[in-house]
Amino acid sequence: MKNPFLPMPMRVEKIIIETDDGSLKTFNLVFINEEDESSFNYLPGQFAQLSVFGKGEAPFGIASSPTQPDCLQFTVNKIGVVTTALHNLEEGEIIGVRGPLGNGFPMEKLEGKNIVIIGGGFAFTTLRSLTNYMLYRENRSRFGDITVIYGARSPGLLLYTDELKEWGKRDDLNLHLTVDVADKYWEGKVGLVPSITKEIAPGPENAYALVCGPQVMVKFTLPVLKELGFLPERILLSLEMRMKCGIGMCGRCNIGSKYVCKDGPVFTLNQLNGLPAEF
Amino acid sequence: MKNLTTEIRGIAKKLLEDKRVDLIVGFERGTLPLRSTPCFVRRSEEVRRLIWNASCENNLARYLPKRTEKIGIVAKGCDTRSIVGLIQESQITREQVFIVGVPCSGMIDRKKVDATVDGKEIFEADERDGEVILKGRDFELSVSQNELLHNSCQTCSNKNPVIFDALVGDKIEEDGKVDEYKDIKEFEALSSEERWQSFTREISKCFRCYACRNACPLCYCQECFVDSSQPRWIGKALNFSDIAIYHLIRAFHTAGRCVDCGACDRACPIDIDLRKLTKKIEKDVQELFHYRAGMSVENIPLLATFNPDDPQEFVR
Amino acid sequence: MQEMIISKKQIASFLNNLIRQYKVFAPIKRDSFVLFGEIHSSNEALLNFANSKIPPKEIFFPQSERLFAYSLTSGEAKIKEPLPVEKRLVFGIRPCDAKSLVILDSVFDGETYKDVSYADRRGKTLVIALGCNSPSSTCFCTSLGGDPFSADGSDLLLVDLGEEYVAQVVTERGREFVEEQNEYFGGVGGHSLDAMNDVVRAAEAAMKPKVKVGEIKEKLDDIFDDQIWSSLSERCLGCAICTYLCPTCHCFDIVDEAIDREGERVRIWDSCMFPLFTLQASGVNPRPTGKERVRQRIMHKFSYFVDNYGQRACVGCGRCIKNCPVNLDIREVLNSISNR
Repeated sequence: MKNPFLPMPMRVEKIIIETDDGSLKTFNLVFINEEDESSFNYLPGQFAQLSVFGKGEAPFGIASSPTQPDCLQFTVNKIGVVTTALHNLEEGEIIGVRGPLGNGFPMEKLEGKNIVIIGGGFAFTTLRSLTNYMLYRENRSRFGDITVIYGARSPGLLLYTDELKEWGKRDDLNLHLTVDVADKYWEGKVGLVPSITKEIAPGPENAYALVCGPQVMVKFTLPVLKELGFLPERILLSLEMRMKCGIGMCGRCNIGSKYVCKDGPVFTLNQLNGLPAEF
Repeated sequence: MKNLTTEIRGIAKKLLEDKRVDLIVGFERGTLPLRSTPCFVRRSEEVRRLIWNASCENNLARYLPKRTEKIGIVAKGCDTRSIVGLIQESQITREQVFIVGVPCSGMIDRKKVDATVDGKEIFEADERDGEVILKGRDFELSVSQNELLHNSCQTCSNKNPVIFDALVGDKIEEDGKVDEYKDIKEFEALSSEERWQSFTREISKCFRCYACRNACPLCYCQECFVDSSQPRWIGKALNFSDIAIYHLIRAFHTAGRCVDCGACDRACPIDIDLRKLTKKIEKDVQELFHYRAGMSVENIPLLATFNPDDPQEFVR
Repeated sequence: MQEMIISKKQIASFLNNLIRQYKVFAPIKRDSFVLFGEIHSSNEALLNFANSKIPPKEIFFPQSERLFAYSLTSGEAKIKEPLPVEKRLVFGIRPCDAKSLVILDSVFDGETYKDVSYADRRGKTLVIALGCNSPSSTCFCTSLGGDPFSADGSDLLLVDLGEEYVAQVVTERGREFVEEQNEYFGGVGGHSLDAMNDVVRAAEAAMKPKVKVGEIKEKLDDIFDDQIWSSLSERCLGCAICTYLCPTCHCFDIVDEAIDREGERVRIWDSCMFPLFTLQASGVNPRPTGKERVRQRIMHKFSYFVDNYGQRACVGCGRCIKNCPVNLDIREVLNSISNR
């Protein structure tokens, strides 16, 4: 069996600065070895461990959709040792990737349903992967209505702004962008994601809600969804934890008996309600 | 010792009943022979859990930093000096603690007991008239208690609490003649190569459990330098340099603060002679600055003071 | 089960012979304590011991282990995997520790992911266990379904009869080994078997009263938010002694060590008792105080591990009890919880 601790080398092909304060960058990575590329098959919602050799490894949700074959994308927030090292990289440098890891979104369950995507801040990465996957021409008909509610603290902190513009033009997607604090150019909604969700009031019939964001956003969005009639088994969350091995061995990312790296990071609210409240 | 136990229980009961304190930190019987364990009592009915004997080795001051309650703490001489240190460094206020000081003639070193019986299991142990009777599967030994005392106890010159709100039992005569730095002086007399070999051998045993740091009342940093990743001061793997630097820097961090209670040494599961480092630092502090840690809350911590007469041989 | 006899007079020669064919690990004395180390001569092995301080998990899951080495050149990252090991033998492991290897297998040698180095070492190691004629008062294997003479996890189990050992052949690999080393093993007579049964019965009878773990999982799942955890954890220092010396604790950290463009990724033992264990880069810590961490340790061993792997992650070896600087006794913790 393959050694699960060995990273695959990848080259940083392009670095895109996403936010106006430079704290978030998207990395386009390409495989160096062909066999690595052909074996890396992933689903939206999965993550990978990125290594900066000599600095360490950290887990990041895969921001690209599997329908984008040319590269893997990760959006990184500069906050600690590894993320700072990633931010200091230049195009052309080599990093390591271990993955795909985690369970990803339950695509079979989502088929035929209306999908309500609620994302906040830079947790939007895997939701973006999912959205692009569903919007892909061969996939779109497999899903019902798609509603995306995405908010950031300010317009400059929204990710993937060019892509968001394209999404806004589509008629097979209901896109609602919001910011906590607007600037003079902002023409979209202003308000916190939970309140905007309440305002838009997506219907629960035949629908799944996927929520990813800072803890406080999730905490206030869940009651809104409950009030709208979403059942716990129809609400999906993607969790974050400090991780090291990513494969359920090092023992640190568990919530109760579930490892966020192996049994998650995607859980239904129903599953989480059955776990000890320590996350 | 029985009377001391009764006295401690009496004081604790009154403190809790009068609501003078919210919590008593003392010792209760352990689950193994010659062991006792830290005990936290909040209800006066429970004071009968408290005991006092020659196995009360832990420095309970370790449980004080950052607490907000009023605490009655049972403290030996060295422990009270640690409490002074914590008050000096604003980790707890004088008003918060009611110090039940217990004059102490020394605590038994479990490792010396182990060595005496060659690692065999002890089923029963009794203290009687300065002797410790050790009973095992096929042996019964009587050993002088003094021989079994921890090294820091054998050279202790602060048997009596330096600060207290209640004193339990009678004061013990301090041994003014003991040379507490005898071992260090002997070690200093060795050649540099011999010292390096000895140090390397001891420190290489370390497997980074941090019991030494966690048992020390004065290691209360929110983020220990070992855990800092930005910047990363030392690595975490079993690299000799990293291990050595951890111990050396921890020893330096105790300069002017360490009271040689021996908690670090006692906690180490693999018998590293940690006091070589900490005692040497303490000796240097004594010789360079004539300062003894933890003697009075009025003193300013050594490294927070400056005196124009301070030694400056490093400036050439 | 097939039984053979090996005389104690033969042990030195037996071990010296094995040392020529295998990398042999046995209990050795280092200063004041016992651990399992490689022996180069039979006289280094200590066979009259209670149990090692450092558990034999170290042989399969070292405290510090290189996962791979790397060197970076422009446009390339060369990654060097660790080499497979040669054949090995561990002699004198206690039944509780042999069982701990089976428990660690569920973690490191799983269906989806396999720690290749661990599996390599395990696969190449013959396990010769030594049963416990005189269990310590801190041993509680029988409370957890174990036994001083359990064969679970060993290839060969030795029973000490004074002048000789009865060697119980446990696995096919053990049988092949006995055949391979047949010059040292003889047939066993009825009196030896009787003596063996006496020894086993005496040891089992000598085990201290059982710790209450019958319904511990159900109890634990019920009392997650109970305030008992505050009192149980109050004296814990938060060091890693219990976890490092525990034969079934398997948590680890991964760190990179580098000089310029070359370095290695190292796996090191970690402990759920450390505050840093679950600390996220944002500063959020799901287990902010000792209370949550002590709770996690107990719940992991006696509930979560059962959910995931069908067995409790404790073999009752008693090392945590003997070595805890504040005498926090896991037997007391378990009994308190059972009685809640």
